[in-house]
Amino acid sequence: MPLKAEWTALVSNEQLPVAGKSMKVQPMAGWNRSSAKPSSRSERWTRDGLALNELTFFADVRDGEALYFKPLMAEKDLPKFRSAMLPTEIVELFENSNRMILASSVFTIGKVEPASLGNHPGVRFSYEYAAPDEGLSRKGEGVAAVVDGRLYLVNFVAPAIHYFDRDISEIRQMISTLQLRPPKRTGGR
Amino acid sequence: MKRWLNSILMTAAVALGATALPAKPLELLPSHAGYQPKDALEKGLWLEMDQVEQQVRASKFLIEDPELNAYVKSVLCRAVGTEKCGSARVYLIRTPQFNAAMAPNGMMLVWSGLLLRARNEAELATVLAHEFAHFEMQHSLQSFRDIKAKSDAMTWAGFVPGGLLAQIGLMGSMFRFNREMEKRADMAALQYLSDAGYNPMAASQIWEQFRGEMEAQAKAGKAGALAEEANDFFSSHPTTQDRMNYLRAAARQKTPNTDTGAARYQAAIAPWWPRLIDDQIRLNDFAATHYLLSGLARGQWSAELLYARAELHRARGKVDDIAAAERDYRAAASASPELAESWRGLGLLLLRQGQEVEGRRMLRRYLEKAPDATDRALIASMAGGARP
Repeated sequence: MPLKAEWTALVSNEQLPVAGKSMKVQPMAGWNRSSAKPSSRSERWTRDGLALNELTFFADVRDGEALYFKPLMAEKDLPKFRSAMLPTEIVELFENSNRMILASSVFTIGKVEPASLGNHPGVRFSYEYAAPDEGLSRKGEGVAAVVDGRLYLVNFVAPAIHYFDRDISEIRQMISTLQLRPPKRTGGR
Repeated sequence: MKRWLNSILMTAAVALGATALPAKPLELLPSHAGYQPKDALEKGLWLEMDQVEQQVRASKFLIEDPELNAYVKSVLCRAVGTEKCGSARVYLIRTPQFNAAMAPNGMMLVWSGLLLRARNEAELATVLAHEFAHFEMQHSLQSFRDIKAKSDAMTWAGFVPGGLLAQIGLMGSMFRFNREMEKRADMAALQYLSDAGYNPMAASQIWEQFRGEMEAQAKAGKAGALAEEANDFFSSHPTTQDRMNYLRAAARQKTPNTDTGAARYQAAIAPWWPRLIDDQIRLNDFAATHYLLSGLARGQWSAELLYARAELHRARGKVDDIAAAERDYRAAASASPELAESWRGLGLLLLRQGQEVEGRRMLRRYLEKAPDATDRALIASMAGGARP
């Protein structure tokens, strides 16, 4: 990520394209988009600052691509998304990628259940973690779906104390407005 | 993160250079009850270490499990004696790399990667006693005096970005010992081991295992050089080959003893083992982890080890890995049908290979064995028919 990110306030009364062209979502009031992206296929939003609420959208992630840009200090390559991955493997991809970029082993996946994302069947998972440079726990929730061999994922993170529980229902409502219009692909997977 | 730590280590190594041994003998040892820091420099060092210790106590990386903590402390106490071990406060840190350190104020840090790698109590005791010997002989204080003689940097703990683990890494580099100190700590640890009635050969065996793991890692990595220099702990130590040789030779002079405490160790670690190996597997370091598992098995593959190796293969996912993973899942499930995760792994692997009927059957078996699994809802939907 660039050292200095710029923020743009989002208009809250219409569907906005996010992380490319194939995902649209209607923001609630007060959310902002960062110019800094965790990967070329993602986009990050916050309302009160990333330390308090962080919402990341991934769209059109293709076979062989990682979820995040590789951190400069990482010794190993980040795991890669595969089109044929099962929902369980998507959750594992998410966990392993985050453990590596956070350099943290304090990361636990909680409940994992079927869900839908933009009317496509997928998986919802909750998790909790701590980063080595912070003295607090964070809670997160992700919803993911693989459509036509591409990964779509929305991930919300906030401090476990107060902020996650305060915001999660609003986040779920926002995610429920999400629409996917993946580009039609010719040929099979 | 680790590479970044290493860069700090290297900088500090350059700053430190060689340290000299003290000429005069020590009087009251820090391992003695009631020992207090003697001069301003030592007092300052204790103060800083007390601050780090406060952070350790509050850290989310601290393993608080009272039973595991009590066990590790009991191993230290058996090794160095109950009178001395009261001077140490042991903290277990959840991080899969191998490391251990002891600060001059009595704070001992043990990374969970050490608990994963030790194969028995005697091997754990070797490392704990080694760190304790550094503490007792005041090696870190001597290193610190040496740094102070060369630099005006008064405080360092407060200026380290990257949080607690980076501070601990930096602490390790501040207390960089020369080879003579390392050898003295090795020999003292061996004496402790022998006096405590442990098999003295364990001292060389644990280094042998680490050496092999690093070689496996280096062979798989891009650089031809051995990764020994890149490890936080080993970067300051004598070459492992040397150490193995002199420890083995010295152990032969000790009273022979076959007690390694392997069964006690495995029983104590068992509740944590799945998490410890999971942390390691998720590092995405196939070669080192594969070697580590073989070293832990020593030809006797338990269901847990087979499952771990299956997961390692499945995570890498190359063509040969799928067959290897399937073999290991099946062997694990047959060795211990109650190990629910084997059925899960096998079921998912089969589903992924398009063997839907058997795959779903295996997932149902997982759900029978693990009715309270947190992924129950998803697995049930996958086991029931079409993919969710």
